[in-house]
Amino acid sequence: MYNLLRFIEKYSNTLLFLILEVICILMLIYNLPYQKRELTNFGNNVAGKIFKTKTNWNNYFHLKDENIILTEHNAELMSMLSQQQNDSLHKTIYHQNYRYIPAQVINNSIYRHNNYLVIDKGRKDGLKKDMGVICEKGIVGKIVNVSDNYASVISMLHPYSIVSARFTNNQHLANVSWNTRNYRYGTVNDIPLHLNPQKGDTLVTSGFSNVYPPDIMIGTIEEMTDSESKDFNSAKILFSTNFSTLRHVFVIENINKNEIDSLFTQMKDE
Amino acid sequence: MNNRLIINILRFIGLLLLQVLIVDNIRLGYYVHPYVYVIFIFLLPFNTPKWQLLLSGFAMGFAVDLFCGTPGLNAAASVFMAFIRPFIINAMTRRKDINEDDEPSFNNMGMLRFMIYATLLLIAHNIVLFLLETFSIRLLGIVIIQTLISVISSLLLIFLILLIFRKNHKKIS
Repeated sequence: MYNLLRFIEKYSNTLLFLILEVICILMLIYNLPYQKRELTNFGNNVAGKIFKTKTNWNNYFHLKDENIILTEHNAELMSMLSQQQNDSLHKTIYHQNYRYIPAQVINNSIYRHNNYLVIDKGRKDGLKKDMGVICEKGIVGKIVNVSDNYASVISMLHPYSIVSARFTNNQHLANVSWNTRNYRYGTVNDIPLHLNPQKGDTLVTSGFSNVYPPDIMIGTIEEMTDSESKDFNSAKILFSTNFSTLRHVFVIENINKNEIDSLFTQMKDE
Repeated sequence: MNNRLIINILRFIGLLLLQVLIVDNIRLGYYVHPYVYVIFIFLLPFNTPKWQLLLSGFAMGFAVDLFCGTPGLNAAASVFMAFIRPFIINAMTRRKDINEDDEPSFNNMGMLRFMIYATLLLIAHNIVLFLLETFSIRLLGIVIIQTLISVISSLLLIFLILLIFRKNHKKIS
């Protein structure tokens, strides 16, 4: 016992060092796939307020660009609206599947190995974990953590982001992920071998994941690349979203998500 | 003593805001990530007890983590840096050359020696940080390039900041 106490006394600093490192690494590991971060709710709120102030100042410098983008998007929506038949319009309003919640990006990283965004809407605005986030140009990412007033999002620029995608010209499915270390380009995996995508072929979300609605733009094929597996092709994709200039995004709430999920759990049980 | 505590608290807040509001927004590419909050650990007095060094490192790193959404990443790196700081100081200075109450600075260590001290600590900090961030040995080559480039960019910034906030002893005495 005496020896043990002496040992602890002698190496107390090294022990403290090891304990702190283990705490850090545990936090990091439990944080990696899906953040359980209730305990940092407070910190998140303080950090969020400071980022929000920064963004409020920054916004004045981007008003002109922002107006142009909004006008363009408005025009696009107007033309879509005029193309719709009356009854299908009726259908979208009364049988709505998705609700769109506008939010502002208050912090964003694009050059890290794991990239996150922080947005200024949180639990109070009805945001939940696993909701999809898009912008007017295309997909952005998925919510991983929500505090009362803010939420953090893993963007497509994260090794854990994998999205089920569909080619618009032939309806074939593939997976889009990111490992290029360049914020403009992603990787398309699992392209069937008989398919030979050309440069400029468009990929949209398939809508099978319940996170994103179908037909949200992801990007266009840039070039074919060497595949790791022999059974599938892979390609480089140019994201339609420019992650470096993200300011306004929409969070997507799938109104039927609970119903679909309960169906899946029933299937698993049987 | 009290005065020193207040200075360190102000330094903590100042460096935290400088890091997350300004330096993190310098976007120069995948390989360039300057860190200036480490100055807080560099400048703790020579006679700071080891446990205080470790806890200060943890607090500083964790504060930055809260802003970056990566709990544990910066904390692990700066705790490691705080742990090896006494060894590097012992290797680089002789007891009789320094006043134990002082903070490490250009004046009492010499500019070259201070920058070597900063470089060694930064390399330790960055390599732990980038290894934990990528979390795979396969990307070790990339981690090393990231570390080298980031250390150089951090050193430039730290050198400038320390020059700006340098205490001029000649004027005071």
